[in-house]
Amino acid sequence: MAAAESPSAALRRRDLCSRGIRLAGKMRADVVDLLDAYVEQQGLDASASAAAVEGVPLAAVERWDEQTGTQRLLENLAAYRAFRTLLAQMLEEQREQLGEADAGLGRALAAVLLQVSAFAYHLEELLRLESRGVPGEEGDEEEEDGPPPPPRLSLFEQKLRGLGVLRELAQWAVRSVRDLRQLAKPSPATGAAPGLAESP
Amino acid sequence: ESHTQYERVGADVTMKCGSMDWDAAVTWTANGTDIDESHLNGSYLVLKNVDLSQSGQYSCYEGSSWHLKYQTNLRVGMPPKEPVLMCRSNNYPKGFYCSWHLPTPTYIPNSFNISVIHGTKDMVCEKDAVPKNRCHIRYLQLFSTVKYKVTLTVTNPLGKNFTTLTFDEFAIVKPDPPESVVAKPVPNNPRRLEVSWQNPSSWPDPESFPLKFFLRYRPLILDQWQHVELSDGTSHTITDAYAGKEYIIQVAAKDNDIGTWSDWSVAVHATPWTEEPKHLTTEAQITETTSASTSSFMAPPTTKICDKGAVVGSGAMAVCWTAGLVVAAYSVLFI
Repeated sequence: MAAAESPSAALRRRDLCSRGIRLAGKMRADVVDLLDAYVEQQGLDASASAAAVEGVPLAAVERWDEQTGTQRLLENLAAYRAFRTLLAQMLEEQREQLGEADAGLGRALAAVLLQVSAFAYHLEELLRLESRGVPGEEGDEEEEDGPPPPPRLSLFEQKLRGLGVLRELAQWAVRSVRDLRQLAKPSPATGAAPGLAESP
Repeated sequence: ESHTQYERVGADVTMKCGSMDWDAAVTWTANGTDIDESHLNGSYLVLKNVDLSQSGQYSCYEGSSWHLKYQTNLRVGMPPKEPVLMCRSNNYPKGFYCSWHLPTPTYIPNSFNISVIHGTKDMVCEKDAVPKNRCHIRYLQLFSTVKYKVTLTVTNPLGKNFTTLTFDEFAIVKPDPPESVVAKPVPNNPRRLEVSWQNPSSWPDPESFPLKFFLRYRPLILDQWQHVELSDGTSHTITDAYAGKEYIIQVAAKDNDIGTWSDWSVAVHATPWTEEPKHLTTEAQITETTSASTSSFMAPPTTKICDKGAVVGSGAMAVCWTAGLVVAAYSVLFI
């Protein structure tokens, strides 16, 4: 951004950020509850360390404080789009595994999926405000030769994967709150993107 | 030659007088005092079931020449028990520190070695100069689900022991208590107390990582605390204080999103504002003052004569009506 932000854009950004922070906060609380229910109902050990599950966006980041506002938004958006797909998959697997027996868990999963979708949309709004084009979603274009579909997982592997997904989502929800707070800070007059801090 | 020898409490210790033969005539001293022959087996010094008080400088002298043949510094102690280790992040997101101590003393020098692993990565915990048993580490990554594993090994000449802590980034976040807690009465409000405080100075970035607060207060005469949780701001007005009662107030802090509550701050005491008793000259006092020629009415400096809003007139001629009454009463006396 070469030019300084207009006051109305700054106001809209701050407004979107505060709403985003509230959304992320609520989402995190629901994911944590879902995680507890998931661990219990899937008969998993809560302390099981799930090795990095393939395809799950990791919230862990180095030099977080040095990221630009745009970087934060893009990384968040990519993550939540991935979670949208992963949660939809989990919901499908859930229905196959348990049918009607565990409607509560299914409902909770669906509720979180809805919040993830809403948050992804919210991030797109913020990116539009930053005058950045919103990147297209991978897999939207059917003609593209994407990677082959992953081999079908065993039931246990599905459960472990689900644990990994929810754990990372909970981390992302905390990270998103922090990212949005950085974004909400007024950008310096030089026009540098918000969130660009001094190197430690 | 002189050296140091470490022995366990309760051990049996045999000391040889250097290269002297067993049947050589020698004298042993402990811290300069001769040791009784009953402790000798030939020229060997035998100490059975040693205790801490037997630590000291032991010297062996050749019988006739009093030539020093051997000297040792005996240190009686114990191998270390499992150390107590604690790790905490009071300066999130910069890093965390670990501190440790032994549950019981060993009475001999110990050395500590700490290792920190994050996943497969070894991290260096830099030892603090002060306090000694503490080291700190900078976070290289944030928002990681991978746990940290900290192993502390303590070693001394008599043995070694260790302990391990495993935790994730969020779990150990615990700020220091809020600082500069101040509680003040609110003028003309007998049930209010204004409390303010500051973020702990160790918390590096309260703007990006805001803290929320927990206030607790009670009158000194009661045991039950009142609690208020505050999600922002560093001040709060208590509005339900018991009039005239001294209160004790404390504040705690927590990161808005992760970790645990700090310890309670230093306690402050405050009493709500109370109306001061009016030291007005009453009718009875006026009638008592019969020889009034030299007497004059002087209000005690701290006494409030006027209530707010009871002032009549303005500027230099402003007089409160109660004082006016008193003056009028005196005037009547002198007429």
